[in-house]
Amino acid sequence: MLSRRDLLWQTGGGLGGVALSAMLQDDARAAARNEPKPRAANAMPEWRHRTGVLHHPPRAKRVVQLFMGGACSHLDTFDYKPFLEKNHGKKSDFGEHVEAFQNGLGPWMKSPFKFRPYGQTGKMLSDVVAPLGDVVDDMAFIHNLVGKTGVHSQATYLQATGFQMPGFPGMGCWVSYALGSENDNLPTFVVLPDNRGFASNGPKNWHAAFLPADHQGTIIRPGAKNPIADLFPDKGGYVTRASDAAGQALLKRLNSKHAESRPGDGRLDARIRSYELAARMQLAAPEALDISKEPQHVMRLYGLDHGHVGSWPKEINPLEETHYMGRKCLVARRLLERGVRFVQVWSGNDNGFPRRNWDSHENIERDHGPLAIGMSTAIAGLIKDLKQRGMLDDTVILWTTEFGRMPSTQGSKGRDHNPFVFTNWLAGGGVKPGVTHGPSDEWGYKPADRSKPTTCYDIHATVLHLLGIDHERLTWRNNGIDRRLTDVHGHVISELIA
Amino acid sequence: MQRLPLCILCLFTTLSITPAIAADRDDEALDFWSLRPLTRPAVPKMTGDLAKRVRNPIDAFILARLQTHNLQPSPQADRRTLIRRLYFDLIGLPPTPPEVDTFINDKRPDAYARLVDRLLASPRYGERWARHWLDVVHYGDTHGYDKDKLRPNAWPYRDYVIRAFNEDKPYRRFVREQVAGDALWPNTRDGVVATGFIAAGPWDFIGHAEVPESKIDGKVARHTDRDDMVRTVMEAFTSTTVGCAQCHHHKFDPVSMEDYYSLQAVFAALDRADRPYEIDPQTAKERALFARDKQRFTEQLAAIDAEIKHLAGPELAKLDARIAAINKAQSGKGKERPEFGYHSGIERRPDVTKWVQVDLGKPTPIAHVVLVACNDNFNNIGPGFGFPVRFRVEASNDPAFKTGVTEIADKTASDYPNPKVVPQSFAVGGDVEARYVRVTATKLVNRLPNDYIFALAELLVMTPERVNTAAGKKVASLDSIEAPDRWRRSNLTDRYYYGVWNTLDVGELTKLTAQRDAITKRVLTPALKKKRDAASISLAAAEAALDKLPERGIVYAGVVHKGSGNFVGRAGKGPRPIHVLNRGQVTQPGATAHAGTIDIIPGVAPRFAVDPKAPEYERRIALANWLVRKDNPLTWRSIVNRVWLYHFGRSIVDSPNDFGQMGQRPTHPELLDWLAVEFRDGGQSIKDLHRLIVTSATYQQVSTGSPANERIDASNRFVWRMNRRKVEAEALRDTILYVASKLDTTMGGPGFRDFVLEKPQHSPHYKYEKHDPNDPKTHRRSVYRFIVRSQPQPFMDTLDCADPSQMVGKRNDTLTALQALALLNNKFVLRMSEHFAARLSAEHNTLPTQINAAFRIALSRPATTDERDALIGYAKTHGLANTCRLIFNLNEFAFVD
Repeated sequence: MLSRRDLLWQTGGGLGGVALSAMLQDDARAAARNEPKPRAANAMPEWRHRTGVLHHPPRAKRVVQLFMGGACSHLDTFDYKPFLEKNHGKKSDFGEHVEAFQNGLGPWMKSPFKFRPYGQTGKMLSDVVAPLGDVVDDMAFIHNLVGKTGVHSQATYLQATGFQMPGFPGMGCWVSYALGSENDNLPTFVVLPDNRGFASNGPKNWHAAFLPADHQGTIIRPGAKNPIADLFPDKGGYVTRASDAAGQALLKRLNSKHAESRPGDGRLDARIRSYELAARMQLAAPEALDISKEPQHVMRLYGLDHGHVGSWPKEINPLEETHYMGRKCLVARRLLERGVRFVQVWSGNDNGFPRRNWDSHENIERDHGPLAIGMSTAIAGLIKDLKQRGMLDDTVILWTTEFGRMPSTQGSKGRDHNPFVFTNWLAGGGVKPGVTHGPSDEWGYKPADRSKPTTCYDIHATVLHLLGIDHERLTWRNNGIDRRLTDVHGHVISELIA
Repeated sequence: MQRLPLCILCLFTTLSITPAIAADRDDEALDFWSLRPLTRPAVPKMTGDLAKRVRNPIDAFILARLQTHNLQPSPQADRRTLIRRLYFDLIGLPPTPPEVDTFINDKRPDAYARLVDRLLASPRYGERWARHWLDVVHYGDTHGYDKDKLRPNAWPYRDYVIRAFNEDKPYRRFVREQVAGDALWPNTRDGVVATGFIAAGPWDFIGHAEVPESKIDGKVARHTDRDDMVRTVMEAFTSTTVGCAQCHHHKFDPVSMEDYYSLQAVFAALDRADRPYEIDPQTAKERALFARDKQRFTEQLAAIDAEIKHLAGPELAKLDARIAAINKAQSGKGKERPEFGYHSGIERRPDVTKWVQVDLGKPTPIAHVVLVACNDNFNNIGPGFGFPVRFRVEASNDPAFKTGVTEIADKTASDYPNPKVVPQSFAVGGDVEARYVRVTATKLVNRLPNDYIFALAELLVMTPERVNTAAGKKVASLDSIEAPDRWRRSNLTDRYYYGVWNTLDVGELTKLTAQRDAITKRVLTPALKKKRDAASISLAAAEAALDKLPERGIVYAGVVHKGSGNFVGRAGKGPRPIHVLNRGQVTQPGATAHAGTIDIIPGVAPRFAVDPKAPEYERRIALANWLVRKDNPLTWRSIVNRVWLYHFGRSIVDSPNDFGQMGQRPTHPELLDWLAVEFRDGGQSIKDLHRLIVTSATYQQVSTGSPANERIDASNRFVWRMNRRKVEAEALRDTILYVASKLDTTMGGPGFRDFVLEKPQHSPHYKYEKHDPNDPKTHRRSVYRFIVRSQPQPFMDTLDCADPSQMVGKRNDTLTALQALALLNNKFVLRMSEHFAARLSAEHNTLPTQINAAFRIALSRPATTDERDALIGYAKTHGLANTCRLIFNLNEFAFVD
């Protein structure tokens, strides 16, 4: 008898990758529980399986989430404040009591970087994100994001998982759970961490938590010896290509025999299939990560034509930032091309010293400068590259961070945390290009309209909406509660949808 | 803005009126299966062939249900299957081939019951079942959140749980100990250590240690912390989710906001922190006795000092005032710089001698020697860090201090009070000229439990002209932790120390101290001196006796914390006032909440009759007693349901942490109630419950399918067969070690670390990839693994081990490609495959016998001819290690029938 997978395969995958792989995963999952789906809880709508569409026709198929660890300053990148230029050095006055994280309430501070207009929209960008000027007309800015806390860990959790505490699935996990895989040989949700280490909370930001483990973000480290954990055995060990291949063939035979004598347990077949998928991943992943054959003009897009070899200077510097961020963004494109559903790219590691993330309490110019140049060069390259391949139309790009930074000075050159307002931007599949939504106030301290802030729930709801998902109907029952990415909040921001 | 997480609409249960007026509610409100009073149902009477299958009442309940649904029970499994099933179920390891053979050939009628008893008596049993409970209480060895710091004293709680299972602690006691053992059984090890339960979950270091409680973020952090305590108690013991009521109560919700905040009030005085405990009650008694002596003689000495002061008159008083004035003027002038000082190597015991010395370059006249302690917030120690408890100061021209040694100060007879950062000046009697000055610590100071050191910020050697001649001079020491900038020898003479004093003040202080000594000497009468000496000797004896007592243990638990800086706790201040928070916002406190619980037992007031001014533990005792009330409908159902889950892989109520409206309904409500009553009214012995379950015919069925039954009940909800079980992460890892003959069965103590720790000062990095799986320290059972919250161990995490950030009532059970890669290529599996191969080669000479033995060891059965031939062929080409790797990847190795 044909398995469902064989059947799909032989009918030419007429349902498309979405449904196919989703079915495979669902089969495995249902089989793993050895039972039909229980009533209501944790069952995806049946018709998704038939149509490959979840709640409504999607505008996009995949997502790149760009996460700036440590909290990137909106005031020094995307949210231009003439007020601060005029009043630089004057005593700051917010007109109300402010509870700053580290009491960074010194005089008003203008950005150390110049702002200039770009594109047809004339959007003002600072010099350190100027590379994004070429694609600024494709971007949609939201300048009135508000957070809930100035504590890094909780704020990172909030943006990454929709909750302020550990124990909830990352955004990519929810998307993977909702839409399944679009490929047959790579993980659905891939994470590209900062080359220097993890940001706050580490892998908990992309952990599947109560969702099944196959929705967890898989860490890929471009350039590392083993870019995916345990993808291959140690080199030079007793496991050779031949012993591995012969072993897997024999394993399959023995496992099939074992399964035949125990009919009615779909998990046994599912486990055999998981080994087949692993084998395909061993072939697919190195190919997906190999950027050596990318043509020079593509390398140039990402700032990877710098020609630098050997070690990097001790101090933080733009070239090194461009190199690592550019490589991650290029790999992200290659993964998206190969059907990875959700790629999360991190810039910045933990909150140690010297600063290698966006937490510039001491010196915005010294630390934000190189990080922003690297980030903007690489991301501009990614957007242009997706565009020239026709992929920008169905890829959503979300740029986010933990919170913003204060318009007042900390020390003499730094800025303290500002959870009261910050910036996100979107681009690509279904996003209205060239718009600026929800301004912040004249200082960039709080939303201009304090009664109508935007929250991460709104952003999450909007991204899910673009993927054809109703954020209120994407649920998983855990310990008595139907959990959602958006908790009990969230509104789709219709102004941002093309 | 400061909305709290978890503000979830939780359509929960069937109460149709708000519990605020619950006193008047009608009884139908509690007419939901989990809230109905617990009564013993009649055991169904089976007839005919089915009656013969009944081994105990469990079977009668199950068969009655099968009959209703037209399902046929499955036949009994063979002995080979049963022994493997029982081993994995009860101890989490496979039987050895001789154990299999013995059981198969045991003709005694009670062979099976004997096997069960033997396994339940094995210490491996507690290790296996403790892990289940640790899932539920989300135990971890780090704090979680940002800067995921180590929690080095969490493990005594983990060991308590293992002990509780092995000793078969009555459940009532197990519950009460974990909630209020420190108050109910003070000075017992288990009583105190059990309260590690309250602190088992994550803790936000930044929100507590870097943000004060006065700030909104600080309040939110502490609110969230109490929320975790409340949810842990209620989910673990009563399978009730209450967290949703922190923002609003729902009209169908049996948990009102008042109920929720009354539970928060129970824990209002607590924080999570280390606390000492007595390992043995006799020691506790002795410690109290000697402490009393110490107190008495200290008071005597103080009285003698007062007498001396009196005799010396205003001259001494004036001197003391001047000394105090200098100390006061200088305190608080400190400005932190990273150069802390000199730090010795670390010892496991205090009575190790360490020295550090300065080389003045040439023999130099010395008037005073000044020692300054360090200030390091490591382990919240702060000022006085590392200052030796006993020490002497000497001068010599011999760098080895063998000859010509002049004693400057000898403080080795009794404990020296920690000077904090106040410089300690020692005058040199007479003219001394020496090139080397040495400080020898004879009793080191505690830095962590079982961790003793000697550190000094600065050593000043003052000439009669009051010049610090040691400044910038070369330092030598027995050993040193060289970790610039904070720690290195040269820091001892770098002129910098916390609260830098100018040399003039130090000189002044030294002078005054010398004058004080002279006056004291003058007024000391022989009688007074005799009295003082006697008291000193007695004090020293008491201190020595205290020293000789075994160390107290330290456990990370729920405690009334006495801290400093931002994390001050509530010691001496009483519980925090708890308010019902409007929409869960800490900025909108409403009515004061009185300690209490949810309103689910008819006739039992939901608020405790505890005076708000009574000691905080009265609240916890009240909650503990409420939990184990005979008429609590949830507690007893909850625990028997959990035990059933771990035996069958699916529980009677398949949402073990949630018995509410959103949870599952029981498949066998009568059986659940019968088990709950049987358990509650019996000895509350978990082991008896195991015996009852595993000796039932239901448990001993085969796990193979049946098309006829599958048409009616494909998911086996009614237990017409046994469930085939996927081996959990811990059991799989332990089995691999065991099969490879590498398992170290040492029990208890700090967890093994299968990672390399980097940058522990700030945000620790846990580098699993740098760990060598051949390190024998990590070959212990997985329950002893040091569990990191922020960076889960990748191999275990991939294999669905419990996430220590959430209370896991039932684990996920997935099959993924990453699992396949982990079992194929993880270096742990690769190394253990080699060890398994080495074991086979050592025990058997030929390939056929090696392959056969491999099957018997790993799968508890001999290989079939086909399997043997295939594997021999493979092994001939690729070797035995590759073959063992293949066996570790078999479906049969990953599942138990």
